[in-house]
Amino acid sequence: MSVVIKAEGLSKIYESAMGGQDVHALTDLNLEVQSGEILAYLGPNGSGKTTTIKMLLGLIFPTSGSIEILGSKNPTSPAIKKEIGYLPEGAYYPDFLKGEEILKYYGQLYGLSGKDLKMRIDKVIDQVGMQHARKRLLRGYSKGMRQRIGLAQALISDPKILILDEPTTGLDPIARKEIRDIILNLREEGKTLMISSHELLEVELISDRISILFEGVQQTMGTITELLNERELSIEIKAVSDDVLKALAEKGLKAEDQVGERINLRANPSLTTYDAMEICKASNVTIIGVAPRRETLEELFVRVVGGALEAKRS
Amino acid sequence: MSGVNAFRGPWTIAVYTWREGLRKKTLIGFLILSLLVIFGSNFMGSFLNQSTVGSEELDVNLKLVKDICVSTISIFGVLITIFISAAAVPNETENKVIYSILSKPISRLQYLLGKFIGIQFIVIINLALMGLLFFMALWFQQGTLPTLLLWSILLTYFEFLIVSAFTFAISCAATSSVLPTIGGFFIYLTGNLTEYLNDVKIRSGESEEFLDVIIGQTASVLSSILPNLQNFSLKQDILNLQLNDPPSDMQFTRLLIYGVTYAVSGFIIAVWVFRRREL
Repeated sequence: MSVVIKAEGLSKIYESAMGGQDVHALTDLNLEVQSGEILAYLGPNGSGKTTTIKMLLGLIFPTSGSIEILGSKNPTSPAIKKEIGYLPEGAYYPDFLKGEEILKYYGQLYGLSGKDLKMRIDKVIDQVGMQHARKRLLRGYSKGMRQRIGLAQALISDPKILILDEPTTGLDPIARKEIRDIILNLREEGKTLMISSHELLEVELISDRISILFEGVQQTMGTITELLNERELSIEIKAVSDDVLKALAEKGLKAEDQVGERINLRANPSLTTYDAMEICKASNVTIIGVAPRRETLEELFVRVVGGALEAKRS
Repeated sequence: MSGVNAFRGPWTIAVYTWREGLRKKTLIGFLILSLLVIFGSNFMGSFLNQSTVGSEELDVNLKLVKDICVSTISIFGVLITIFISAAAVPNETENKVIYSILSKPISRLQYLLGKFIGIQFIVIINLALMGLLFFMALWFQQGTLPTLLLWSILLTYFEFLIVSAFTFAISCAATSSVLPTIGGFFIYLTGNLTEYLNDVKIRSGESEEFLDVIIGQTASVLSSILPNLQNFSLKQDILNLQLNDPPSDMQFTRLLIYGVTYAVSGFIIAVWVFRRREL
C-alpha cells in the first residue's frame, strides 16, 4: 500500500494582528494516508481538522512543515488537484441551478467537456443515487440531497483521493446511512478517503484508521483494532440480591445497569470468559448471555480528548 | 496546463458569475427603477411651465429628458457596478463556494479573471439596457439617431470599468462586501473630484502654512494617483450638442487606453492581494 497523502511537521500559526496571543491552530502534525483506505480525522470543534484540510488543498498556507500528495511536493499543481475531490463542510450550492447543471459547472472547471463530461455526470449521479432529481432545481432539494450533490461534485473528475469535511453532519439517520453506503462503495472502487467528522458511530463503522486531534496536536493515530484494544466481557444475568452483586463486584464482575429482571455485568479485563462464568456459577447466578465488549470509538475519543484536557489543566 | 484549459476555467466562472448576478434582487431592483425613471422622464415635460411654447418648450423638454437620463444611467449604473464588484468574491468566501472552486485545477488568477469578466458581463448588460431605452426615447423625440449617446455609453462603461476594478481589488482583501462597497463609492466620488483636487493643490501652493502644505501635498498625491473619471463624461455634449454630432474635442483612443490602464492596474492589485490570502 502506498502513501498518497503525507504531512510532515505541519504547523499553522495565526499571528495576532493587535499584539494579542498567536493562535496555534496546528502543531507539528505528522500524517500519512495510505492508498485505498478510509482515514477518519477526528477532534472537537477548533481542534485543527479543517485547518489541515485547507492546507492540503492550498486554501491556506502552512507556517512550517511539508505536504506531499501522490508523491508531489506541490499539491496545488493542476495535475494533483485533478486527483482530489473535496466536499467542504456546509457548502452552499446555488438554488437557481439544477442538480446536473451544478455538476456541469464543476466538471468544466476540471476541463471536462462534451461527451466526457456528460458521461461523468451520468456516472456520478448514479453513484450518489440522484438520477430521479437530476433535472430539479436545488431549491427543491432536501439537506441529504444537497449533500449527495456535493459528494457528486467531488467525484466528477473521478479523483483518486476524496477529502470529505463533515459529510454526514446534520443529516437524518436514513440520509446518513445513504452517505455511508456511498462512501463504502467508493472504498470498494479503490478510492482513498480522508473524512473529518463528529459522527463517531458512523466513523467507527466505515474507517480503517483514525487520527484524533485536540487543540491542534495529534493525540493518537492508528487502526481501529489497534486503538480500541481494551476488550471487556459483558454478562447478562437474572436479577439477584444486592449482597450477591456486591460479592460479584469484589471478584471483578461489576453491575452496569438493570433492566427489569435482567442485570448487565462488566467483567474486569483481567478475567477470561471461563473465569467470569465460573464466578457466576459459584454464586448461583443464572446467566442469560455472555458477549465480548469492545471499547467504542466514542469512549476512546472521550478518553483521549479527556486525557489531553486533564493534562492541559494540570 | 494547456492553453485551452487556461481560458476555459475563467470563462466557465465568468458565465456562472453572470448567470448568478442576473438573479440578484438588488441589481434587478436598481435596473427596473432606472428603466422606469428613463421611461418616465419622457412624460416629465407635461409638468413643466406650460407658458413656454413651440420649439423653446420642446428644447426645454428634451434637455430635461437628457439630463434625467444621463444622471440616471450614471447613478444606477455605478450602484450596480459597485454592488456587484464588491460582493462577488466575499459572498463566495462567506458561503464556502470558493472552497469547492479553488480545490479544482483552477489557479487563483484564473478564478479572479473569471469573476472579473463575469462582473463586466453584468455591468455591460445593465448599461446596454439603460442605454437602449434612453437611445429609443431620444430617437422618438428627435427623429434622428442619437449617435453621440453611443459614444457616451461606451465611455461611461470605461468609467465603470475603472470603478469596478478597484472595488474588486478591495473586495479581494475583505471578508464582507461592506468595506469594498464603501471603497467603491470613495473611488467613484474622488475620481469625479480629481479636478477639484488639482485646484486644492494649486491654491495650497500659494500659502506657506504647514497645514496648507500638507493638504496641498495630499491633494497632489491623490490627484496624480486617482483616475480622473470626469474625462469619461459626455454629459455637457449630450445636453448642448445635436445628438448626431460627433463628440467635441475628444481624444477617444487616449481615453480608452487610460481606462484600460487603470482597470488593469486595479486587477493586478486584486491578484496581488488575493495570491496569498488565507481562505
